Amino acid sequence: MSLMKDLTNGIYKENPVFKLALGMCPFLAVTTSVENALGMGAAATFVLIASNFLVSLFRNLIPSKVRIPCYIVIIATFVTLVDMVMHAYLPALHKSLGIFIPLIVVNCIILGRAEGFANRHPVLNSIADGIGMGVGFTMAMVVLATFRELLGNGTWLNMNVLGSAFRNQPLLIAILAPGAFILLSFIMGFFKILETRKGGRQ
Amino acid sequence: MEHKRFELAMSPHVGTQQSTRKIMFDVVIALLPALAAATWFFGPGALLIVALSVATAVLAEYLCLKFMKRPVSFAFDGSAIVTGILLAYNVPPGVPWWLPVLGSAFAIVVGKQAFGGLGHNIVNPALLGRAFLMASFPILMTAGWTAPEEWRNGQDNPWETNGIVQEELLEMPNADAISGATPLNVLKQSFDLDKSAALADEEGNHAEAAELGARASGIRHALSQKSTYLNLLVGRRGGCIGETSVLLLLAGALFLIIRGVLEIRLPLSYLGTVALFAWVFGGSGWFNGDPLFHVLAGGVILGGFFMVSDMVTTPVTPKGRIIFGVGAGLLTMVIRRWGGYPEGCSYSILLMNLITPLIDRFTRPKIFGEVKEND
Repeated sequence: MSLMKDLTNGIYKENPVFKLALGMCPFLAVTTSVENALGMGAAATFVLIASNFLVSLFRNLIPSKVRIPCYIVIIATFVTLVDMVMHAYLPALHKSLGIFIPLIVVNCIILGRAEGFANRHPVLNSIADGIGMGVGFTMAMVVLATFRELLGNGTWLNMNVLGSAFRNQPLLIAILAPGAFILLSFIMGFFKILETRKGGRQ
Repeated sequence: MEHKRFELAMSPHVGTQQSTRKIMFDVVIALLPALAAATWFFGPGALLIVALSVATAVLAEYLCLKFMKRPVSFAFDGSAIVTGILLAYNVPPGVPWWLPVLGSAFAIVVGKQAFGGLGHNIVNPALLGRAFLMASFPILMTAGWTAPEEWRNGQDNPWETNGIVQEELLEMPNADAISGATPLNVLKQSFDLDKSAALADEEGNHAEAAELGARASGIRHALSQKSTYLNLLVGRRGGCIGETSVLLLLAGALFLIIRGVLEIRLPLSYLGTVALFAWVFGGSGWFNGDPLFHVLAGGVILGGFFMVSDMVTTPVTPKGRIIFGVGAGLLTMVIRRWGGYPEGCSYSILLMNLITPLIDRFTRPKIFGEVKEND
């Protein structure tokens, strides 16, 4: 019962990006295309689940004074794993994500869930939370990447959607940095409106 | 709901004869002569662009207010019209019709209404719209220069005849080849050639360096032949729709000064800084630049009198206004002289808009009667 709640928590109610505003750095940087967003989301989700699992497993062994270094070691292990696997099997994606794969180590969603959830919950719940948060992060990235790729390149997952007339003069700003900020603020504003409509003003 | 009599407005609530509506329509009147010149030089297409831009701005403002359930009468206070005109004045005359529409809608929706409407916008909406268009459509925004008066010779498609002229320019630096490009574009290219010449000189290619240097000075000579002070004053040159006709812009500015709408510190400190900087660094050596050329050739007359002096996004203290003008002038000239763009007017004003609250905070006047605290 509570397992189900932990699983769905990260998808909407505590969506790491739209509700908690965590992980902004990779979120803004790699959402230039849906393909990049999916790749980054998959990598982050794997690290999130694995680190949540290990942190939860060792939560009674790790002395609380050195817990942050311990989390970093655990997370860095899995990030290195992802980095090498991607380099070997998906070299193109690895190249386009670039520095943002090693930077998953300092992604505050992952560290935040280790500290805030896995640290004091049983293993199964932690895994569920990892899955939920990872899916929530991936979905958020795909939403923004959809807008950015459609407007800035006229494609979706490299499929030509808006036609070649549009693709000759796309809204280039959408795949540049300012476009990411502008679209993000519109999406967050949209969620704010939804919230206000549903629960009334807080 | 009834909004006819009691509208909520920002402080101050002390009444004067001036109202937003009156000020804005004064600005519109001041901007209109330059539109006549633009139509004369660039053809009816320029008029159409301005009309589309203004219509979109007012419509976007109306829809935003409707969506946010605020009194829609704000849409007709004239500020959207000013934004629409200024945005259209900032695009090349040869752009396709949908470009100003898009830019104008962005300026109002993101630049103004997203922040809460007139008085709350942190940067000049029209300039934000221009920056948006520059980032999105860099080719259209830097190549649609129509040569003045060409439309009456039957060449009604400036896009075909005046695409990018750089290549021709490098081949034959004569007066005819540069008719379409803006004077500042041409100047930038001559400086780029100077740079390549210096590079070739360092590598030991003295013959190539001499040739490049000669080409650069040839282009500058052709430029001085074509863009005489008279041509620049009247507006017989390539450029954005509203920036070319200096005389008529000045006439509009004079009207605003007489009406008490325009505060003279901002434009004066801005244009003064531009001229001084141009004299010191603008030439190929020191202290031999042409200040008048730099003031007349780009968009600083339009920017200085109608955008630097925007009431919402510039400092309110007298000292702050001078700091703002000097800062914007410096940035404009740094971009022109060493930056990637030929003209830096719009970006300099946008950047200074962002630090306006800071300027206001540090130039706050001493409150009368207050005793300075000892520490």
